[in-house]
Amino acid sequence: VKAKNLVRLRRTSQTFFLLLFLFLLSQTRLSQDLYLNYSPVFSSEQTLALDQPVTLFFQMDPLILISSLLSGHRLVEGSLWALGVLLLTLCLGRVFCGFICPLGTLHHMTGWFRPALDSEALVKANSRPAGRRIKYFLLILLLSAALLGLNLTGLLDPISFLFRSVALAILPGIGTGIRELVEILAASDARALNHMGRGIEYLVAPLFGYEYKAFQTAWFMGALFLIILFLNRIRPRFWCRTLCPLGALLGVCSRFTMFRLEKDSIKCTHCRLCTGVCQGAASPEPGSPWQNSECLMCLNCYDSCPEDALHFRFGLPSRANPGPDMGRRAVLGGLLAGISIPFLGTLDGQVHKVADARVIRPPGSLPEKEFLTLCQRCGLCMKVCPTNAINPSLSEAGMSGFWTPVLIMTLGYCQYNCTLCGSVCPTGAIRPISIKEKIEIPVRIGSAYVDRGRCLPWSGNGPCIVCEEHCPTSPKAVYLHEASLPGPDGTSLKVKLPYVDLKRCVGCGICENKCPVRGKPAIRVISAGESRSFENQILLDPYATQ
Amino acid sequence: MGIDQMTRRESLRRLFQLFCGLTASVPAQGAFKVLAATEKQPFLVEALGRTEGYSVKDLTKKMFESAGGINRFVSRGDVVVIKPNLSWSARPELAATTNPHVLEAVVEICAEAGASKIRIADNTIHDPRQCFALSGAGMVAKKTGAELVMPRSSLMKKMKIKGRRLDLWPVFVPLVEADKVINLPIAKHHSLSSLTLGMKNWIGGIGGRRWALHQDIHQSIVDLARFFRPTVTLIDAIRILTRNGPSGGSPDDVAARNTLILSDDQVAADAAASRLFQLDPEKLWFLKLGHKQGLGTYDQKRLVFKRVTL
Repeated sequence: VKAKNLVRLRRTSQTFFLLLFLFLLSQTRLSQDLYLNYSPVFSSEQTLALDQPVTLFFQMDPLILISSLLSGHRLVEGSLWALGVLLLTLCLGRVFCGFICPLGTLHHMTGWFRPALDSEALVKANSRPAGRRIKYFLLILLLSAALLGLNLTGLLDPISFLFRSVALAILPGIGTGIRELVEILAASDARALNHMGRGIEYLVAPLFGYEYKAFQTAWFMGALFLIILFLNRIRPRFWCRTLCPLGALLGVCSRFTMFRLEKDSIKCTHCRLCTGVCQGAASPEPGSPWQNSECLMCLNCYDSCPEDALHFRFGLPSRANPGPDMGRRAVLGGLLAGISIPFLGTLDGQVHKVADARVIRPPGSLPEKEFLTLCQRCGLCMKVCPTNAINPSLSEAGMSGFWTPVLIMTLGYCQYNCTLCGSVCPTGAIRPISIKEKIEIPVRIGSAYVDRGRCLPWSGNGPCIVCEEHCPTSPKAVYLHEASLPGPDGTSLKVKLPYVDLKRCVGCGICENKCPVRGKPAIRVISAGESRSFENQILLDPYATQ
Repeated sequence: MGIDQMTRRESLRRLFQLFCGLTASVPAQGAFKVLAATEKQPFLVEALGRTEGYSVKDLTKKMFESAGGINRFVSRGDVVVIKPNLSWSARPELAATTNPHVLEAVVEICAEAGASKIRIADNTIHDPRQCFALSGAGMVAKKTGAELVMPRSSLMKKMKIKGRRLDLWPVFVPLVEADKVINLPIAKHHSLSSLTLGMKNWIGGIGGRRWALHQDIHQSIVDLARFFRPTVTLIDAIRILTRNGPSGGSPDDVAARNTLILSDDQVAADAAASRLFQLDPEKLWFLKLGHKQGLGTYDQKRLVFKRVTL
C-alpha cells in the first residue's frame, strides 16, 4: 500500500471515530421524540432507554477493562471490544492511538492546526524525548491502586477524560450561553425576536434538548481540558507521549507487534524529515532503533521519506522490538504511589466509619467500597440524568471519590420511575435496575427530614404542603397532620404540618427540589437509609416490607 | 388571538365589571338584572359511559353534540390549544394524568371541526419527555398529527396575570397564542385545595416559582383561571384519583367514574366534578372565591344543564 493512502486512511478513520464519539456523546440523553415511539398500551413494563450504544468507546477501552478486572474483579459489559483492541495492538502496535482514539485525534488536530514547533525544532525535541516515562509511572500507579481497591483510572483515561470534559463542561458551557440568549429573545416584546429565539432553540434541540444543564466543578474540568489541549503547543500530542495511561498500556502491549517500521540505512540521506514529522518521538530515522511503544502509528514518517528508505511491513514477532522505556524509577515510584493512595484515600474515615450525608449515589449504585472499585468518573450518568441531579462530587465523597457521581437535590431530583443512569454506566458501578425493582423493592438512595425551623407551616409562616404534593410514593412518605399554631401576630394559624415516614421514603429528593425555601430547603435528603449500605441505616429493621 | 387582544378584552371586561358594580350600588338594581340577563347563560353537560366497553370517543362526541356541536366552540381554520394535565411521568391507569383516549377524542373532534392547527401543551413537573411518553399523550400526538409542545425557555414569557394575588409570572405562551383554548384536566385529590380539577390545571400553564403559590392557593387558582379563560373546560373523570394526589402512584388510589364534564363555566365544571368525590362545592374555597368574584357559578340552577349517557 502506498504511504499516501495509508495516511489518508488514518485521517479518515480519525475523523470517523471522533465524529462517532461526539455523536454518541450527544445521544447520551433521552431522545426529544422519545414519546412518539412509546406506546403505553402495549408496554406497561417497558423501561425508557436510549436508542444508541452510548458506551461503545468505553467498551473499546482496554484500560477500563483491566482496571475493572483488577479492582472490582468484574468483566465489564462488552469487553470483547476491548479484547479486540488489545489483540489489534499486539499485532499492529498503537493503532488505537493513531486511528481511533478521539482524544488523540483532538490533540492531533490541534497540533496540525497550529504546529507547536517547526520541523527543525521538532527534530531536536524528538531526539531528546523528555518525560515519556511519566505515562508508565501513571499507568503503574493507577493499576496498583486499582488492585488495592481504589479505581482512579477514569481521572486520566482518555475516553473518560474526553467524555467528562465535553459532556459536563464544554457542551453545558455553550448551552448556558444559548439559554441566556433565548431567554433574552423570549422576554422581548418584538414578536420577530420571540420567533428568532424559538428558531434557535429548535435548531439546537438535537444537540442540547430543551434542558440546559450545569454541573458542579465544571469550570475545573473545562480548564483542565483546555490546558491539556494547550500542551500541544509544547510538543505535538503532548498528552499521548507523556501522560496517557492508556497509551502506556498499549505501548507495553505493542512489544511484539508484527507491523513494524523497517529502515533502509543505505537509502537514507539523513535529511531527518521523518523525525521532523514524528508525533510520538519514536525514532523513525535509520541508525537508531525504532521505539515501537512510543510510535502512535500516524505513519507520517513513512509518508514523508523522499528516499523511500522507510517502510511499514509485517514481520515476525520473533524479531523482538525494544521494550518500552519505563525506567526503574517510574516503575518503583508508580508502585509506591499506587499502594499508598488507596490507604490515604480512606484516612478520612468515609468508607469505613461514617458515610457523608451528602454522598447520595444514583439508584442502583453498589456499596461505597465496591462503587469506588468500578466508577470511572466518566460522567455518562450525569449527562443522561434528565433532571440534572447527578453531579460530579468535589469533596463530598472524600479524596478517593473526587468527581464520582452524587445527587444534589437543589439542582435536580431522582425521578421516581427513571432508571437511565444505571442503564448507561459502562462498568456497572451503578447497576442497571428495572423500574419495577426501583419502585417495588424499593431502591432507596437516602431519606428526607424536615427542618422545622425553616419550614413555612412548622415555623408558623403559612400553609404550604409542596413536599407532600410532590412525594411520589403511594402512600406518600411525606404525610401531613393538621394543627393550630400561633402565627406571628399571636392568632391561631391552621396549617398542615409535614412529617416523613422513613419506612416509605426512598430519598428521591423531589421534596427538597420543590421546597419554596431555596438554596437550603426546609426538607432535605441525606444518604442515611440508602439501600446499598447495611451500616448506613436508621431503622432497626430497614428491609422489612411495609 | 394574540396577547394584545387578550389584554384589551381583559380591560373591557374590567370596565364592564366596574360599571356593573356602580349600577348595582345605586338603588336602581333593576338595571343590573337586565344586564346580567343579557349575558349568555352558561351550560354544563355531564356524560356518563354506562355500557360495558363504551367508546370514549363516541361519548366525547355525543357530549359536544348535546352542547350544541363542536362548531359552537371551534371554527374552521382556528388554532386550537389543548391543555391536558400531564404533570407526572405515570401510566394512564394510575390516573395522575389526563386519559389519552379522551385526549385523542378531543383532538379528533377539533380536527373534524376544521381546526387548522391543534397543539397539546403542558408545562409538566417531571421530565416532559417521560411524562408525554408514559401518559400516552405522545402516542396520541403521533396518531392524530397534533403538535405536542415541549416546554422550553423560548416559550416562557413573563406576562401580567392581573389577578388579585398574582401579578407578573412566566407564562407558557402556546396556551395564550391560540384562537381557542380547551382545558382538559383530570379530576384528582389534592391535600391543600382538596381537589385539582380544571381551574387548578392552569398552574401547569405557568413556570417560575410555582411552589410559592400554595401560600395562597385558592386565590392563585382563581387568578390563573381568570387569566387563561378557556373556551371550554372538559374534565376527565373516566378514572379519578381519590387519595394520594396529585401524584398518585398506585392503582389502589384510583376509582372509575366513567364520567366526562363539559362546560364553558370553569367554576361550574369544577363544582360538578367535585360532586363525584362526594364533596360540597361550597366548601371548596377556590370555588367559593371563583363564584364570589364572578368567574363563574357553582349554582346548578343558573346553568343550562344536560346529561348524556352511552
